[in-house]
Amino acid sequence: MTLGSARTPLRSLLLTGLGILAVAPLLLLLITSISRSWFWPALLPVPSADSWAALIAGTSGGRLSGAALNSLALALATGLLASALSLPLGRALAGLRGWRRSLGAGAAFLPVAAPPIALGIGLQFTFLTLGLGGSFMGVLLAHLVPALGYATLYFLGVFAVYDDRLEDEARTLGASPTQVFRRVTLPRLGRPLLEAALLGFLVSWAQVPLTILVGQGLVPTLAVEVLGLVQSGQDALAATGSLLLIIPAIFMLMAAALAIRRVEAVPV
Amino acid sequence: MTTSSRGLLAALIVAAPVLVGITHAMLAAFGLTGLAGIEPGWGRAHAVLTDVTTWRSLAWSLWAAAASTVLAFAGAVLIASLFRSSSRTDALARALATLPLAVPHVAAAFVGLLILGQSGVLARISYAFGWIATPADFPALVYDPAGTAFIMTLAAKELPFLALIAFSLLASETDRLEETARSLGAGPLEVFRHVTFPLLWRGLLPATVAVFVFVFGTYEAAAMLGPSRPTPLPVLAMERYAGASLAQRADAFVLSLLALVLALAAVAAHELLRRRRWEVAG
Repeated sequence: MTLGSARTPLRSLLLTGLGILAVAPLLLLLITSISRSWFWPALLPVPSADSWAALIAGTSGGRLSGAALNSLALALATGLLASALSLPLGRALAGLRGWRRSLGAGAAFLPVAAPPIALGIGLQFTFLTLGLGGSFMGVLLAHLVPALGYATLYFLGVFAVYDDRLEDEARTLGASPTQVFRRVTLPRLGRPLLEAALLGFLVSWAQVPLTILVGQGLVPTLAVEVLGLVQSGQDALAATGSLLLIIPAIFMLMAAALAIRRVEAVPV
Repeated sequence: MTTSSRGLLAALIVAAPVLVGITHAMLAAFGLTGLAGIEPGWGRAHAVLTDVTTWRSLAWSLWAAAASTVLAFAGAVLIASLFRSSSRTDALARALATLPLAVPHVAAAFVGLLILGQSGVLARISYAFGWIATPADFPALVYDPAGTAFIMTLAAKELPFLALIAFSLLASETDRLEETARSLGAGPLEVFRHVTFPLLWRGLLPATVAVFVFVFGTYEAAAMLGPSRPTPLPVLAMERYAGASLAQRADAFVLSLLALVLALAAVAAHELLRRRRWEVAG
């Protein structure tokens, strides 16, 4: 008993609330996605499979499926690159002590905290100069900026409690640095690498402002398409797109739940 | 290379893109990038920083971020302290609380619009109960100057993240101290007030700063749910950047700098709080 006798009704109320908060959005999106018209004040819409049919047939929803494939490619590439690059970065940062450690952690937190819109506006000129504006590669690199911050913070946390005596032992027994990395470090870090990749995936998957600014409208992604559909009032398609955004993300998150718990300082 | 210089090099690499962005925004804001049409000097920065629109936008974004962060924080503390046992119900509650973490902001904002809009689900239910007659009777929660729908949506969106950290804090750090307090004769409320809550809020502070700066900088939810007067700062920056004239573009750089300065302050606060926590814990 933590809060005395008021606890039980409050607990039931909150549990119900949490259930509604978790399930209602999905249900509402599903209903909206199969609506043709939903006039005031009807509680339920006139059903229609148009938006899903369009998605499969590739008509007006074709933009959505193309964008979803783009998003998937971007998110997978961002996740893999962020994971591979953040391992050495996080390990190097974890070696710092005192004020240098704070500076290092702050540096990794900076791309996470910087508002993407400000980051995009500041970086667009550089991307244009490098010939990366409006290209898939440019958007990928732009997504990599915050993703690398998240993943590096994550590995900083992993290496803060990492015991490298096993590696030392392997060296003592005559293993070369390459052998140590392949036989000892990599197997131990398999799970963190996967989790960092999932974090990077989620960062890229949900990204909007960097995609708009660096992609210049030439690299459609699912999240950007959904924003456009909502703003132009195409609710059924927007709901279909939202479901396509949410469902893979929830699967990814379940796998990455542990990763996010360890990063500690990073909202996704 | 020493451990220390390797670490600092890593810090430079991971922060470099942001530093490049800040540098370019600064040069552009003062007309030093050689773009035709922007006079070099303080002109644009002065114009933007003396424009009341800028400060209203900034104030709105700070208010909305603060309000949603406070709500998410309170919700996370409540849920974490009520559902902390290893029972099935509690584990279910924790799983439900963390599920929305994966929902991208653009989808969360759309759901907020569908539920809280004037012809949204709540308005329709109110009509069914006979409380209102037309959509206009339903309170304007979306696009309203107070940002009600934005705040409620972002609070719900960020609560899972803070709750996740609160769960791990309660699972690891507090048990022993609470036990001690109880054995010294403290009642349940006293334990919460003097042991659980202080540990929880101190532990949650760094993450809370992160949530604040994240909500402050979010673009898509502000564009979908926020008011047009005042315009949320990220939306104002995007509007100016997409604006027709070069002067407006320069304004966007000044606004971006303003947002980045705030993010820098948040990073500093975050590190300070984290260090203090380590010192306390160690």
